[in-house]
Amino acid sequence: MDFGFCLSPSSHVKMDSVDLTTFNRLKETNPDVNTCIACGSCTATCTAGNFTEMSFRRILLMLQRSKEEEAKKMIQRCMLCGKCTLVCPRGINIRKILLDITR
Amino acid sequence: MNNNIFHPFVLPFVLGMAFVLTYCVVGLIRVIWQLPKEDRKQFLISLVTPKTIWANIRDLFGDCLFHVKIWKRNPLLGYMHSSIAFGWFMIIVIGHVMLFTLKPLEGVEVEGFARSFTNFYYPIFYKHFATETPVFAFLMDFFLLMIISGILIAVVKKIYSKIVGVKRVTKFGFADNMVRFALWTIFPFRLIAEKSNIMAFWWLYSIDLMIFMCMLPFTRYMHIPTEALFILLRHAGLKAREPRKGFALAQLYSCPSCGLCIDACPMSVNDQKSGNTSAYFMKILRNGDMAEAQRIAETCLMCGKCVLVCPVSIESCDIKFSQRAAVPYEIHSDHSYLDVISTEAEHSGDPSGARAFTFGEKISTKPKTLYFAGCMTQLTPKIMRSMKQIMETAGENYDFLDKDGGVCCGRPMILSGKPAEAQAMIAKNTELIKQSGATKLVLSCPICYKVFKEEYHLEGIEILHHTQYIDELVKTGKLKVGKGEVNYVYHDPCELGRAFGVYDEPREVIENVGNLVKAKSEKVESICCGGSLGSFRLTQQERDEITQNSVDDLMFNKPDEIVTACPLCLKTFSKKSPVAVKDIAEVVVENLQANN
Amino acid sequence: MKENIIIIGGGAAGMEAATQLQKLGLTPVIIEKSNALGGHIAQWDKLFPAFHNAKDVVSKMFDNVKDIKTYLNTEVTDIQRNADGFHAVLSNGEAIDGKAVVLATGFDLFKAERKQEYGYGIYNNVITSLELEKFFRTRKDERINNPKKIGFVHCVGARDVKVGNTYCSKVCCTTALKQACEMKEVFPEAEVYTFYMDLRMFGPGYEDLYLKTQKDYDVKCIRGRVCEVSEDMDGRLVIKAEDTLFGKPLRMTLDLLVLMCSMEKNKSIDKIQQQLGVENNSDGFMQNRDMYLGMNDSKQEGVFVAGTCTAPKSLPDTIGEARSVAVEVFNYVNNK
Repeated sequence: MDFGFCLSPSSHVKMDSVDLTTFNRLKETNPDVNTCIACGSCTATCTAGNFTEMSFRRILLMLQRSKEEEAKKMIQRCMLCGKCTLVCPRGINIRKILLDITR
Repeated sequence: MNNNIFHPFVLPFVLGMAFVLTYCVVGLIRVIWQLPKEDRKQFLISLVTPKTIWANIRDLFGDCLFHVKIWKRNPLLGYMHSSIAFGWFMIIVIGHVMLFTLKPLEGVEVEGFARSFTNFYYPIFYKHFATETPVFAFLMDFFLLMIISGILIAVVKKIYSKIVGVKRVTKFGFADNMVRFALWTIFPFRLIAEKSNIMAFWWLYSIDLMIFMCMLPFTRYMHIPTEALFILLRHAGLKAREPRKGFALAQLYSCPSCGLCIDACPMSVNDQKSGNTSAYFMKILRNGDMAEAQRIAETCLMCGKCVLVCPVSIESCDIKFSQRAAVPYEIHSDHSYLDVISTEAEHSGDPSGARAFTFGEKISTKPKTLYFAGCMTQLTPKIMRSMKQIMETAGENYDFLDKDGGVCCGRPMILSGKPAEAQAMIAKNTELIKQSGATKLVLSCPICYKVFKEEYHLEGIEILHHTQYIDELVKTGKLKVGKGEVNYVYHDPCELGRAFGVYDEPREVIENVGNLVKAKSEKVESICCGGSLGSFRLTQQERDEITQNSVDDLMFNKPDEIVTACPLCLKTFSKKSPVAVKDIAEVVVENLQANN
Repeated sequence: MKENIIIIGGGAAGMEAATQLQKLGLTPVIIEKSNALGGHIAQWDKLFPAFHNAKDVVSKMFDNVKDIKTYLNTEVTDIQRNADGFHAVLSNGEAIDGKAVVLATGFDLFKAERKQEYGYGIYNNVITSLELEKFFRTRKDERINNPKKIGFVHCVGARDVKVGNTYCSKVCCTTALKQACEMKEVFPEAEVYTFYMDLRMFGPGYEDLYLKTQKDYDVKCIRGRVCEVSEDMDGRLVIKAEDTLFGKPLRMTLDLLVLMCSMEKNKSIDKIQQQLGVENNSDGFMQNRDMYLGMNDSKQEGVFVAGTCTAPKSLPDTIGEARSVAVEVFNYVNNK
């Protein structure tokens, strides 16, 4: 029931209206995005993450939780060094996915 | 017009020749026009610089006519190409020499435009109009037969390429096949026409020439006229900036699609993937299929082998870089956070997250060596540990720049086609290195080595890969090693070997600590490990196939251990190798003498 | 008449299968390549989830097989199928005939050196789960020197395409928690951390073990995979991982790092397996005929599989399979 006002804005992620356009587009060309087990290896090894907040694992989640702008802001910090791709136990081609998100 | 100097069968040839000349002139103007201003200036200056003039002449003959590079790689193919190119060239030259020395048209009533018009086709259909002197007749027949012998090899190559030592050949479309057929038949028709003077064959000969020349611009045979321009542009020291403009355009049209790069390409190990090779990339880009060109550009490992085997010296990797750069990204990198990194002590305890790199005492009288492991080496602690031990054993005054993790060298960003966005990293590393007071920078990763050598301005600081550094330490006696009994094979990392020709130093080091056995393909021919950062699109499985092939090649002489000099090669090979894979630093540490 | 059954492998699966086959009236023959029966389990100190002595279980198994013909230090070098079954040539020069073959060849432990970023064989204080178990038995390991901070890394060589193993090794989670508790017993002052992706507490009493680690032992579980190990000036280990639940990368200094190495198929049997025509599945283990009703049959008639040669398994799983393979073999021999 909607009375036209509420006490405070909800902090919930609104999964009922979540926008998955970018993530679904990404999935078409990179089916391996779904194999992530969120182990955090990419984040832990990240060269940029040594100095600033950068986490590929979270970027993937952001894209699935309507936080695309936040994700794109985070991508800017990437140095594309490829360490994450090298340590990823699922063999996810992280550098390509990052580039694909920005196209 | 006089029957002795004109016959309608020359018209198809004249038509074809006029078309192709116009096309080439327009193309030439277009390429020069598209060059950026400074490049154009550089090009024009090079045309009058004695040194480049000499290089131009040498390569115009050596590459266009004699195909020296193909001869070196495969003499049979070399003969095939140069017999056709050189033979044809000589026939044209001798034809014109006859025209001007013997003056066969003297006394014939033609003047002005008609006169020059006859000059245009006269040498081509010479025998129909006049009889030559015996010497010229012999020369003309000799070169004609030479061409036909080359064509015979070409026919054999088409039917069964393995006979001439080529495993995979480029697959062509209708236009290319049509022109090839025309090219093959031109000379036999000419021979028959000359010997029999049957009109039908003169017509066929002329029509063949027309087909060849009218379709030339739309096929790979456009490389014949374009290569000359490309040689001039190349010697001017230009670099491709846009994938289909200017210098790159000249290169696109200079690619003869000969396919020598197909066998060379590490991706061809899987026949279905040979469409990813440079020969196809150039063809696809020439035809303007940008999406597919982009796909190949991003798939390429950038190992550089195709560039080194290319008989025309086409810089296909540069074109792929420019293709990568041509894709618009809606986001641009922001590396301003690097500002928090400083060498100044007051930052070190900063709660804002600032990080300080601390360097050792600068007062030491010994010149200082700075070691930069690089991102990839952070994942191979054995290399870092070995390097530390080597530097300590040799009594070097050293600092470890990225012990706690460093800033990326910038090369991966450049590889992705974003050279401008690598600048923040390059600037930060330059700042840190200069502040260290070191006179020598030692790198463990060839990827870093390449960018440090090419993009960094570190005046007064010697940049060495650790293979070179260890070689120097051993040769100067600072590091004493003993020779063991192990048989090693050495893998040349692409960005150390092919990129900088660092082939001998690592081999000399290995020979000091053990026996060096040969791989099947070495040095320039070495096969990329498959792990290259150059590729953005290869899947793990596709990379695994390449790795397996490269490992098999290294295992050819059954070595006990594989030695490499790149952390990425090391990690990649470790997955597939049946024997231990080690870095050269590790092998040296294993063989250090006790009395160092 | 008694029938020979050739059992290759004298670990838990081989011994238990032999015991049951003997009870069913057949003549099992165990061929073991090492110098003792017992396989991996004989090297274990305590068993999860309830800290039973492995020795108690293993010695009962030894008792059961003491009358069974056993070849130690022996491998099968050649095996051929004939009209009566199989003819195997052994490395000691002997040959035996059997009606059926049971492959109970078990697993190899993942070689931790293959993940160089974990520093095994590089840093002195990085050890494997097996080496820790040996320490529990002998209390001797010079690398374990009253550590104050201990880390356990899960999934080493498991769920990892970079080493070619995509599967879960099933038992390492529980083993890690069991070993974490034991470390706390030995070094009560130490802080113990485990780095996990998912804690797969799948069996009876396993979740209780987890609760115990939290309530009684204060083992700290951090959800994140260790991805880099380096060394500080004092020779202590510095690890990097992401604390994925907190959402930030972390660094930690440790005195001891234990790698929970996964199970891989025992490759020393590859040649014989090939001769018998038994294929591997996509994980590299032996392929059984059917996941449910044919889990102990290979696709080849008369060739049976039991234990960890088909997939990573716990000890109870293995014993269960060994018993069921005995029934399968019995039925096969009697219906022939």
